[in-house]
Amino acid sequence: MQVLGPGDLHREVLETGLCVGCGACIHLCPYFHTWQGKTAMVFSCNRQKGRCHAFCPKTEVDLDALSRLAGLGEYSGDPLGAYQQIFAARAGDAAVRGDFQDGGTVSALIGYALETGRIDAAVLTGKKGLMPEPALVTRVRDVAGYAGSGYAAAPTLAALNQGVNQGYQQMGVVGTPCQMTAVALMRENPMADENFSDPVALTIGLFCTWALDARGLMAFMEKRLPGEEIRKIRIPPPPAEILVAETRNHAVEIALDEIRDLVLQGCGLCPDMTAEWADVSVGAMEQNPGYNTLVVRTEKGRQLTADAAAAGYLEVWDLPQSGRGCLERAAAVKKRRAFGRAVETGRVNSEKIGPAVLRVNARALEKMTAGPGGAHE
Amino acid sequence: MAADAKLPGDPYNLVITGVGGQGNVLASRVLGNIFTQQGYRVTIGETFGASQRGGSVMSHLRISETGTWSPRMPRGRAHVIISLEPTEALRVLADYGNPEVILLCNTRPVHSIAVISGQARYPQQDQLRQWIGDLSARAWFLEATRAAMEMGNPIFANIMMIGALAAADILPVDKDSFKAAVSQIMPEDKVAANCLAFDRGGQMLLKKEPGP
Amino acid sequence: MNELTEGRPGQRLLMMGNQAIARGALEAGVSVAAGYPGTPSSEIIENLAGVAAAAGIYVEWSVNEKVAAEVAAAASFAGLRSLCVMKQNGVNVASDFLLHLAGGGTRGGMVLVPCDDPGALSSINEGESRHFARLLEIPLLEPGDFQEAKDMIKWAFELSEQIGNLVMVRSVTRLSHASGNVELGPMPDFRPKARFRHTGFILDPRQGAVSSAPVAYKHDLQQQKLEKAQDAFENALFNTYTGPENPELLVITASACNLYCREAIEILGLSDRAGLLKLATTWPLPNNLVGRYLEKTGRVLIVEEVIPFLEENIKILAAELALEIGAKTIHAKRDKTLPSVGEMHPDHVIAALAKIFDLSYEAVSADYTEKAGLCVLAGAPGRDLTFCPGCPHRASYWILHNVLALDNREGFVCGDIGCYSLGMRETGYFSLKTMHAMGSGTGLASGFGKLGPFGMDQSIVAVSGDSTFFHAVMPALVNAVHYNADITLVVFDNSGTAMTGFQPHPGLETDAMGQSAPAVDIEAVCRALGAQTTVCDPFEMDQTRDILLEKVSGKNGVQVVIMRRACALSPARRGRPEYEMYLDPQICIGENCGCNKLCTRVFKCPGLNWDDQNRCARIDEVICAGCGVCASVCPAGAITRKKRT
Repeated sequence: MQVLGPGDLHREVLETGLCVGCGACIHLCPYFHTWQGKTAMVFSCNRQKGRCHAFCPKTEVDLDALSRLAGLGEYSGDPLGAYQQIFAARAGDAAVRGDFQDGGTVSALIGYALETGRIDAAVLTGKKGLMPEPALVTRVRDVAGYAGSGYAAAPTLAALNQGVNQGYQQMGVVGTPCQMTAVALMRENPMADENFSDPVALTIGLFCTWALDARGLMAFMEKRLPGEEIRKIRIPPPPAEILVAETRNHAVEIALDEIRDLVLQGCGLCPDMTAEWADVSVGAMEQNPGYNTLVVRTEKGRQLTADAAAAGYLEVWDLPQSGRGCLERAAAVKKRRAFGRAVETGRVNSEKIGPAVLRVNARALEKMTAGPGGAHE
Repeated sequence: MAADAKLPGDPYNLVITGVGGQGNVLASRVLGNIFTQQGYRVTIGETFGASQRGGSVMSHLRISETGTWSPRMPRGRAHVIISLEPTEALRVLADYGNPEVILLCNTRPVHSIAVISGQARYPQQDQLRQWIGDLSARAWFLEATRAAMEMGNPIFANIMMIGALAAADILPVDKDSFKAAVSQIMPEDKVAANCLAFDRGGQMLLKKEPGP
Repeated sequence: MNELTEGRPGQRLLMMGNQAIARGALEAGVSVAAGYPGTPSSEIIENLAGVAAAAGIYVEWSVNEKVAAEVAAAASFAGLRSLCVMKQNGVNVASDFLLHLAGGGTRGGMVLVPCDDPGALSSINEGESRHFARLLEIPLLEPGDFQEAKDMIKWAFELSEQIGNLVMVRSVTRLSHASGNVELGPMPDFRPKARFRHTGFILDPRQGAVSSAPVAYKHDLQQQKLEKAQDAFENALFNTYTGPENPELLVITASACNLYCREAIEILGLSDRAGLLKLATTWPLPNNLVGRYLEKTGRVLIVEEVIPFLEENIKILAAELALEIGAKTIHAKRDKTLPSVGEMHPDHVIAALAKIFDLSYEAVSADYTEKAGLCVLAGAPGRDLTFCPGCPHRASYWILHNVLALDNREGFVCGDIGCYSLGMRETGYFSLKTMHAMGSGTGLASGFGKLGPFGMDQSIVAVSGDSTFFHAVMPALVNAVHYNADITLVVFDNSGTAMTGFQPHPGLETDAMGQSAPAVDIEAVCRALGAQTTVCDPFEMDQTRDILLEKVSGKNGVQVVIMRRACALSPARRGRPEYEMYLDPQICIGENCGCNKLCTRVFKCPGLNWDDQNRCARIDEVICAGCGVCASVCPAGAITRKKRT
């Protein structure tokens, strides 16, 4: 993956509106900042190469290269990516309880990893009102405070870069698929920095179909529910096709169609629903509220899951093959859509570098684009 | 040169140049007073206001026995240029220089924001001296700012250059006329230090041969 | 010794044009002088203020030029001599009152001195004041050298009293800010007692009420006054002619151009072929006098700055006289013999004369010129204007730029007039996107702030200096508050009128004469006007940025942020660095990823340099003002500061 400079990043990703505000370029330098969900380049920087460009998951994504980085061969194109096991999971009795969206699996795993010293800090996402805020957490008891999903794009990785600046060396990162992609890129030391050491000890990915523009969501809610304090937003499993905004004393249902325009443009080109480059990936279990789907991908992930379960932090059940079908179908749809769009706009294996160019081998491409919604349709 | 000597040209044209904040205006005022006291007609044109904010500044002194001349000197007419900053000497030479001009140049660079920000490069000292030397009949390069800092304040560089001008013996300027002129515009407690700077400037020039 | 009051009659001094004007006013027995600072006019009031106590006069920096004209007019109505001073742009501000004043007439001598800035050396336009004399139908005088700058002021007072109306004496930068020798005259020892007489018959110019009504009657009277002045002009000794009896070319000029013409004629050796008619009385023209000289020749060159004012008036006169004196060939601006914009220069006149007389003139050899030109190109990098080291505006614009970038809605800043106008350039990170008259920034912002219903969703910021705030921003702020415009006004309060040399303004506790005066508190004014107001320090960068960001991004009507920090050059702070600054080259990231020369490449304080050899930043100990701000800018902590004791 070729590394270019901040000017290229600005032109290709920020100005084109493809930025998803993941935070990978924040706190690296004085030039990129995030505020209220939007990433800004405050002054121009004329470097030919920069970490900002190297870490960005929206410049170009070479799935084969990422796959090789993960110790796998060329990218398979399988809907869920490579994994070892899939569980139904929820937090065990030993975990600290919080206001979990679903089964509390992520909080349990992070809490356990902190408790056992596997990580020295956790990169999480908090909220101030509806506005997501990155957080660097070092105490187990604080973890639960960051539970629960947001649907607005969050610059979570800003906290990771801040952690690096503060000297943390074994951080656990919880983030969306694009953030897991950025973390995978960062860990490879793409700028060949002599003093580099991998600051990440654990990655927990979150399932994601898309994220909303944070400022747009705030403005929408302000208009839709003027003056109301919105405490939580959730999206019930299909086929509801609604978003529920909970205020102090009532819950308002809003058709997803109403917020469709707020979906970030960059999400439409993302082929990854299940955070394929994380150690483990966690998402809702549509058929069983109160439980999570836990995809264990790496050896480190397997070990952590097993140990956390043994220690009572986590309860896990093997997910029967039948339960995977639904998940696989959803993940395949996201891949088909992304590649469909990418093919249409000439972004697949383009000779030009970025923006949002997807690179992948022909076999996997064929696999991902076949079927409804794809380029072959 | 003694204060009663004749001017080598009429009007005799002197340019003081530098960067806003280097004491250009004060230097021109001191020199103007020196010549006015001797009965000459003096006209000074200078830069004030916005152009002083880090920009190039320039004072034109026209010294005459006959009358008031334009505060803006016609092109190519300078007899002497005192430059408080070397690249400013080049700029003035291009507009007011001629093969006979005499140059007194402080060597300390003041980088413009184009240089500071890397959009332009400041020339090498020896290259600068070469150019300035090529464009003048005689040129002295003096480390006035450094000497002024040794005296405790870089601002004295302007007065040192006046001392150097006196020592170059081309114009009727001497210590007494300087002291009288300075006393006219400065509080008494500052006169001694300025006289010291004047002397240091003169000594610096006498120790040096003109040229790069 | 203050030579302005203590210089002896007959003594010859080196005086700045503005000093000469001030001395002229003192010799004329001025009692009241009022003005508003503006380059190149400021030193006139400054000099008078400095000797106010010794001379027994009243001097003030008024809140704006209109009020200055009113203050000076009041003295005139009370029978005193008064002087009113401003830069050209100020005449625009004062013109509404001046038109009424000129219609109603004056009593004690009143002189208006506008200082024009041809070439806009310290202005953002080169508009000029002479046409106001025509518009106001008042006499216009233009001194042609430093001695005249003094002497003509005195004459102007006499003329004003003679005709009972305002007289304009126009100066320009190259007179006001140049210096020359001036022989002093005697100072008066009598000053009249102030009394406004208003109980007489309404039309009695000395005893009745003062007004421009009834208009037709007063207007007629006004024109009679002008004719009286014109008569006086015919014999004015300030109008001079030098040259042969019947010149091949008659050069007509006025003001500083007089000196350019004299030198050009001398350099080309044309003294016996070209005649120079220097007019000191340029409106109304002394028709007979000018006609007499026009008659002597067929060819005329008119040299003036900037608009073709003399040219047009002389052409009208030449047309009127054509039957008697014959048609003339008139060279000037309209036939492109001389440039129609920018300052005049002896070389322009030399070129015009050389063309007319078909002479060749080379100031220096083409060889030398070419060589010198190449050296400048190669060796004299451009020197754009910049905020001084330690200037609070650099910090303020740094914050503003960051805030608007973070806000990320293509927000912009409406600029105003002062040092901070440099915010339009690199040193202010190109933050200002509009720049017009005093106070226009806030007025424009008020207008932009109402465009929301038309789809405008950009954040709108206006800036104002502390002096500008009082001058013309207050009415615009009232407008913005009343109409609930969504704007943020940032007041750069640096405790003085810094641009023009720290003249006091109503927000300070001293007046022009150094007397203590009640300060009008900007913060309290803003609050009273109904704007949500916060005061912060631009040197506390992070905190101030957060405050401003909240203000700019919210949609809550008019917000005011007062960034308060005294100017680095202010008399209170001059030469006193607050911090000792250190830069650790080991810590400096330099051009590497993570900094890329933020302090030198982007922040661009002249106190910082890039050390090419060691590839790191360096503090220039000669230039650094020790403000400490760059320590907050450095992302690596390489720059540190220690408080000086």
